Amino acid sequence: MSVSGEMLAFLGLAFVAVLGGILLIQLTKVVHMVLALVFTFVSIAGIYLLLSAEFVAVVQILLYSGAITIVMLFGIMLTNNQKQEEEKGNRWRKILLLLGILGFAFAVYIGIYNLDIPVQPTTLHEANTEQIGIALFSKFVIPFELMSVLLLVALVGAIVLAKKDDEGA
Amino acid sequence: MMQELLQSAPSWTKVGIFFGLAVLFLFVVLGFVTFAILSERKIMGFMQMRIGPNQVGGSWGLLQTVADVLKLLLKEDTIPKKADRPLYILAPVLAFAPAFMVLATLPFTNQFQFADIGVGLLYYIAISGITTIGVVTAGWASNNKYSLMGGMRAAAQMISYEVPLVMSLVGVVLLAGSLNLREIVAAQEDIWFIFLQPVGFIVFFIAAIAELNRVPFDLPEAESELVAGFHVEYSGFRWAFFMLAEYVYMFAMAALTTLLFLGGWHSLPFLDFIPGAVSFALKFSVVIYVLIWIRVSFPRLRADQLMEFAWKVLLPIALANIFLTALLKELF
Repeated sequence: MSVSGEMLAFLGLAFVAVLGGILLIQLTKVVHMVLALVFTFVSIAGIYLLLSAEFVAVVQILLYSGAITIVMLFGIMLTNNQKQEEEKGNRWRKILLLLGILGFAFAVYIGIYNLDIPVQPTTLHEANTEQIGIALFSKFVIPFELMSVLLLVALVGAIVLAKKDDEGA
Repeated sequence: MMQELLQSAPSWTKVGIFFGLAVLFLFVVLGFVTFAILSERKIMGFMQMRIGPNQVGGSWGLLQTVADVLKLLLKEDTIPKKADRPLYILAPVLAFAPAFMVLATLPFTNQFQFADIGVGLLYYIAISGITTIGVVTAGWASNNKYSLMGGMRAAAQMISYEVPLVMSLVGVVLLAGSLNLREIVAAQEDIWFIFLQPVGFIVFFIAAIAELNRVPFDLPEAESELVAGFHVEYSGFRWAFFMLAEYVYMFAMAALTTLLFLGGWHSLPFLDFIPGAVSFALKFSVVIYVLIWIRVSFPRLRADQLMEFAWKVLLPIALANIFLTALLKELF
């Protein structure tokens, strides 16, 4: 394990991602939690970039930290949720939990560190947007079309729900 | 020069060089913002038969914005007692940082570009979405009903108009066959996309103005309805950050329009002796001028009209444009 620019970038991004996840659980206000989630999403997109999956990274930011988070924020703010979660549980339980988490982290670390994935030379890092497009429209046409039908059903469902609400009022 | 730098082996010197270039570029953008604000006030003045700034820095008011910025920096920094303090401080940063980040992929000339990534166009749209989070956060953290309403409006508007914006660009992507901004510009060597995609251009331009929150789509900060919208409670340099983000986005959006529809650094035929940078700057200035012109000319839309316009007018037109473009591309 040598210190390279990539390693440093990964460590930084991973730190922010994990920190965002921990804050998401630990913070008490809902809006703060959503913002912590944004940090996690963005740093995961950064990790995708390090793996030279540009398209996935950009779509991750576009959909998760762009659209989905804003919809969540919108919902939270409109309902004006000022509730704060209260802490519960005693100290022994916390210590046991911490031990459990540490044990799990150690087990995962051992498992991953000794895992040997055979590296095959691929061309996936070149022009991968084009490759995704070609794969979607040649190999995976039927799942792709099924997805579009599913989304259409969701859209129609949303419209029907909204319409019903309108008539009732 | 830049291409060699981007492809050279990484080292600490290179990090220093990139950092220096980025700082230099930041100052260029700040200079642009200073004079964009001045020229906006001047042009609005002329169009409304007023004079505009004419006191500070000669009869053209050249130092007016500098004086304004100095005033903002010296102003007392207030944070409301009931505000959500960490979010209140974080929000201007969240709003401004993406505005500067999107500039990284824009190829200003054939030589001058900071990052040449394959999905440059999508990168711009994705990163600019993060600003919305900053705006919504600012609206919520201020703990003020006007700012909350401004924040909500900003979120609704920016999400709605992002859809026609992206859809109108699909035509350009189809014609160029790439999401890379350099390749899109290179595809316009013979004819600019504004002539091949006139409908796409109109939809794009309207959606772009809405994304910039400028008049006639400035509902998030409608003075007569919401006092100042999402930044009611902000003052001093924090407020300046929101203003800065807005004008940096104006810079970025004008540059993007130039790249996608006006041929980037390519000159007109017979005018090939004009260097790419000058050609780009001229087209860029025209786009900025039109943006200011629109601001002077149009009244503000109503909130319900705004949403209907995005979903019932712009989106169907953009979809029809995609269909037509694909059809024409297959036929010819």
